[in-house]
Amino acid sequence: MVMIMYVHLTHMNEGEEGVVVDIHGGIGARQKLIGMGITPGTRIRVLKSSPPGPIIIAVGSSRIAIGRGIADKIIVRRELR
Amino acid sequence: MKKVIALAGNPNVGKTTLFNALTGLRQHVGNWPGVTVEKKEGIMKYKGREFLVVDLPGTYSLTAHSVDELIARNFILNGNADVIVDVVDSSCLMRNLFLTMEILEMGVKNIVIALNKIDLAEKKGITFNFKKMEKVLGIPVVPTNAKDGTGIEDLKRKIVAVADGRITVNPVVPVYDDIIEREISHISEILKETALAERYNLRWLAIKLLTRDEEVIKLVLSHLGHEKMDEILHHIGELEEHYKKSLDIIIANQKYEFIDNLIHQFVTHFAEQKETLTDQLDRILTHPVYGMLSLLAIFYFLFKFVFTVGTPLQESLDSFFGVLGDNIGRYIVNDTLRGLIVDGIIGGVGSVLSFFPLVFLLFVAMSLLEDSGYMARAAVVMERIMRKFNLPGKSFIPMVLAFGCNVPAVMATRALDDERDRILTMIINPLVPCSARMVVITFLAGVFFERHKALVAISIYAISLGLALISALILSRFVIKGEESPFIIELPDYLIPSWKSVVIHSWERSKEFLKKAGTVILAGAVAIWYLSNYPQPVGTGLSYAEIIGRALEPVTKLMGLDWKAAVSLIFGIIAKENVIATYGVIYGIGGNEEALGVLMRQAMSPLQAFVLSLVTTLYLPCIATIAAIRAEGGTKWALVASLYNLILATVIGILVYHLGLFIMG
Repeated sequence: MVMIMYVHLTHMNEGEEGVVVDIHGGIGARQKLIGMGITPGTRIRVLKSSPPGPIIIAVGSSRIAIGRGIADKIIVRRELR
Repeated sequence: MKKVIALAGNPNVGKTTLFNALTGLRQHVGNWPGVTVEKKEGIMKYKGREFLVVDLPGTYSLTAHSVDELIARNFILNGNADVIVDVVDSSCLMRNLFLTMEILEMGVKNIVIALNKIDLAEKKGITFNFKKMEKVLGIPVVPTNAKDGTGIEDLKRKIVAVADGRITVNPVVPVYDDIIEREISHISEILKETALAERYNLRWLAIKLLTRDEEVIKLVLSHLGHEKMDEILHHIGELEEHYKKSLDIIIANQKYEFIDNLIHQFVTHFAEQKETLTDQLDRILTHPVYGMLSLLAIFYFLFKFVFTVGTPLQESLDSFFGVLGDNIGRYIVNDTLRGLIVDGIIGGVGSVLSFFPLVFLLFVAMSLLEDSGYMARAAVVMERIMRKFNLPGKSFIPMVLAFGCNVPAVMATRALDDERDRILTMIINPLVPCSARMVVITFLAGVFFERHKALVAISIYAISLGLALISALILSRFVIKGEESPFIIELPDYLIPSWKSVVIHSWERSKEFLKKAGTVILAGAVAIWYLSNYPQPVGTGLSYAEIIGRALEPVTKLMGLDWKAAVSLIFGIIAKENVIATYGVIYGIGGNEEALGVLMRQAMSPLQAFVLSLVTTLYLPCIATIAAIRAEGGTKWALVASLYNLILATVIGILVYHLGLFIMG
């Protein structure tokens, strides 16, 4: 059974997958995320999340590190297996 | 006029390697006008013809939110390029084609895609139908591997064909849903009446208006006036209500969907998600504990390499200039002229030039870090520590390089995208003791604190590094204000750097050091020579240098330092190791360090020596560093950095001296 929950990216655990639902925050950061392929609907996997360091996610075949401040403004639909 | 070829593309797609492959060694590095973003130009030769290749800054999109993106965007928008080569990472197609679509939306027709890293895509199991890809995108596509030269000749041929108009390019442009398309047509209709229609692609302007692009809003406002503009913005507001989201997100989303659709038509096999070597390495290298340990180890070995190779070179260059001076001096009869040329020009410039190997090797080290992909990981590991001092993780690199030499370190601040971050990192950089100051610190520690010399040397380092970080906090709060830059960084696949790229890049950058350093240092060296030889030479007590030293004594006395220290510090501005050498000149014993140690021990207390090495570390940066800050950040910030360091050194010097007196009773 697959449980679905909406969480901030900061609350995702290492190894978890999900789909980006919304990006809040300043337009500068948002535009940068968009250019890197992170928009609502994008499937991501959390590779590394060890507070207070940045979160590293896999998007397609690329890896992107995101500071906690911004990660807290990304809403993800988490898929728990 | 040579035809212009512009290279556009995401960062980490091998754009620089491709640039090198197209131009060979015929290249020139400068800055884009008015900003400190590196501009690379080179000459491409093809069948006896020459083309000018311009490397646009690597960007993920073309918004108005970063200097890099604006530079690339305006270059394309103004029609400065005869051909645009869009360098695409074939192993990461979706994201790369986003930039392609941004370019195409501007109405660009003169474009060729270099489908780079084709070897990597194959290894990942991605298969292309190139013919189909060309048809679907309507653009010539050339698979390349810039690293081993695959496809480069083919790419050149296609570029020239497009430049000559022998290939007609008919690119696709993204299509959005009906509601947005209707609004685009509506806005385009309004804009058609203006002069904008002659210069810009109206569809592009309309889309940028929908995403509330500040630059385009300004541009359109100047042609439409407030009334019509408000009407458009009102419409956009209604659309945002409808979608319950900002339109930039909606449009980006639909653009990605459009791209996804295209890709499925020409990619016949997709990569399977499996763990790569990069993932395995990252598990260690970005780990909070092991990552930090690896970082320390990597930088330890890099520095070991830089100093092991660099120091002997530096010493031999130093003695070369000594011998050169002696030999030339023999042929000059006139005393004044000899002094000027031998002591002033050859001595002064030589002492800085002898740092060239070190500077070059530090650039090599930095290029290795950049090209291998490790730089991004170092930024991740250091992010949380640096952030505590309002610095981004990336600013760690310039701070580390500064232990070698501040000049390449200041130039390395270019890697920071944010203006505030860059200036801040630049200004605190001189507080990190470079290898020239290490000479002074270890000499004085050895002479005055035999038993505790290591402890004393380390404490000087600790104090100045501490002050650098505290300064970052203070300056960011009161002087260089501004928003904290968001930390979003791509971690590219690890690569074995190509030596050609590393050497070309390091050479270009150290050449800049020579050019900048050359002029300023020559002037400085001559000035210092004059001050120390007129009206009477140093040692007589009658030189201008000593007169200035005595005039400064009331201030330095507060730190327990006499005029000799003041004079030494003045000469240290040329190059910091001069502080010790000057004492030798004043005592009239030249470079005899042992005798100098004995004399200095008689004249100074350990506390005074401690203060002297601390002040030497903190006060005015050397001329070369000031010149580098001026080149990278402008005259204003070079002045701020100089004054700030000078004041800081004075205050700390006085404090430490009196604290020391108090403790020792």
